[in-house]
Amino acid sequence: MDFFVDSAGPLLTALGTTIVMALVAGVGALVLGTLVAAARISPVPVLRGAAWAYTQFFVNVPLLALLILAVFALPDAGLIMPLAPTTVLVLALYEAAYVAEAVRSGVNTVGNGQIEASRALGLTLGQTLRLVVLPQSLRAAVQPIGNVMIALTMNTALAAAVGVVELTSAVNKLNLVQAQPILIFTAAGLVYMARALVIGLGAGRLERKAAIVR
Amino acid sequence: MRTSPSPLRLRRVVPAAVAVVAMFGLAACSSDSSAVPGADPSASSAASALDEVYANAVVADAADILPDSTMAKIKERGKLIVGEALDAPLLSQQDPSNPDDVQGFDADLAKLLAIYILGEPNVEIVPPASETREALLQNGTVDVVLNTYTITEERAEQISFAGPYLESGLAVAVKADNDDIEGIDDLGGKKVIVGANTPAVTAVPEEQPTATLVSFATDPQAMQALKQGRGDAYVQDFTLLASNAASDDSIKVVGQPFTTEAYGIGLAKDDADFKAFINDWLVQIEDDGTWAKVWDATLGAAVESDTPDAPEIGSVPGS
Repeated sequence: MDFFVDSAGPLLTALGTTIVMALVAGVGALVLGTLVAAARISPVPVLRGAAWAYTQFFVNVPLLALLILAVFALPDAGLIMPLAPTTVLVLALYEAAYVAEAVRSGVNTVGNGQIEASRALGLTLGQTLRLVVLPQSLRAAVQPIGNVMIALTMNTALAAAVGVVELTSAVNKLNLVQAQPILIFTAAGLVYMARALVIGLGAGRLERKAAIVR
Repeated sequence: MRTSPSPLRLRRVVPAAVAVVAMFGLAACSSDSSAVPGADPSASSAASALDEVYANAVVADAADILPDSTMAKIKERGKLIVGEALDAPLLSQQDPSNPDDVQGFDADLAKLLAIYILGEPNVEIVPPASETREALLQNGTVDVVLNTYTITEERAEQISFAGPYLESGLAVAVKADNDDIEGIDDLGGKKVIVGANTPAVTAVPEEQPTATLVSFATDPQAMQALKQGRGDAYVQDFTLLASNAASDDSIKVVGQPFTTEAYGIGLAKDDADFKAFINDWLVQIEDDGTWAKVWDATLGAAVESDTPDAPEIGSVPGS
C-alpha cells in the first residue's frame, strides 16, 4: 500500500488533469449541446437537418473510435493538435450530442400553448427560445444532463488510450511496476465513483431548487 | 413548432451522414494497415520450416503429468488456456486471412507447450490486456501467460515465472530522416513515445530523467504517433522495433538495446510442480534445437544477427 503514498505526486497531478479535462469538456458540451438542441427544434429545415445529423453521428460512433480518428487520422489530413486539447475537444463534441438529446427531452415538457402565446405576443424565434423554452427545458433536463456529465467523467478515462497522462494512465503506469491490478484499479475505480457521486448529488440538489411545480 | 424532421428530410440526411462515417472509417483503415506485417513473403516459408518442428515436437512422459497437478487438469480439459497477444508482429500475431491461426515466437511456443502436455497444439487464447495479466493468473482464467512478460521481482511476488525463455532489450527508433538521435544517450529533453504498459515507461526516465514521455495503448498507435511527429523517438523492445522497421522504411532503429529484459512464462503463484514441469520442457526444446528453429522462423526473420543462445533457466531474480 506504501506505493500509493510514494507516487502520490504523479497520481494527484493526473487526477488534476482528469478533473480539468472533465470541467472544460463539460462546459463545452453544455453550451454546444444547448445550441444543437435549439437548432433541432428551430423552424429552419437546414438547421434542423444539420443538428439531427450531428446528433446521430456522435451518438452512433463510439467515443474511442472518435478519439483515435482525431489523434491519428486527422494528422494524416494535415491537422495536428496537442493530445490533451484534442481529447477535450472530442469529448465536448461527443457529449454535446447527449446534452442536446437531454435538453430536447426537456423541451417536450414545455406546453405548446406557451409557444403559441409567445408568438402571439410578437416574440421572435430567438426570444421565444431564450426567454420561454430553453430556461424551462434546462430546468427539466437537470437530472438527465447530470447523467451525461457522469458519463463524461467516466469517459475521460479513454484519454489514456491516446497518450494523455490522466488518472487511468497514471494508475496503469503504477500497476506496471507494482503488478497489483486488483488493488490499484479498485482504488482508481473508487475515485471515479466519488467524482460521479459528487456530480449526481449536485444535480439532485440543483434539480430540487430548479424544479418547476406544474 | 415542429420538433422532428419529416421522413423526407431524413432520407436526404442519412446518405450524407453515412458518407461522412465511411470517409473517416477508410482513413482509419489506411493509416493502420501499414502496421500489419501479414504480407511478409518469408512468412509462408517460415511456416513450412516449422511444420517439421511441430511434427517432431516433444511430448511429456505420462509419469511427468503428476496426479492432481495443473498439468493433469489441463490434460483432462483437453486444451491449454494461454494469455497471449493477438497484435504483436513476430511474437504473437493473428493471421488476418485466417483468424484461427496465431503465429510468432510466443504463439508457437504456446502451441508447442500444448503439444508437450496434450499431444496436440490445442490452445485457447485469452488476449490479456497487459494491465490484467496478474489478475488473470491469480483467478485461474488462464493456465499460463506467454506474452513478452518481463520478469520482475515485484511481479514475482504476485505470480510465478518459468524461464526466462527469451532475452531482449529496449531500443530506440526514430524517423528515417532523423540524424540527430543515435541512441538512448541523445534523448535528454526530448519527447519520447512509449507503449503504455511496457518496461519503457519506467526504463526511459531512469536513463533520461529530462525526457518527456507520451504513452500510447498499442504498438501500431505508437508507430503512427512517431511517424506523425508526436514525439522525437519511440522506445520499445528491440525485436518489435526491428520487425516494424523491416516492414516500414520510414523509420529506423538506432543504437543498441540499452536494457536487458528477460521474458518469462507467467504461472499462478506457488505452483512449484507446474513451474518445474515447464522449466523441464524449456530445457528439452532448447537442447534439441526446437527453440532455435522457432526463433529463426519468427524473430530471426527480422533481426540481422545470428541465432542467440537461449537464456539460462532461473538466471534472473524472480524466475
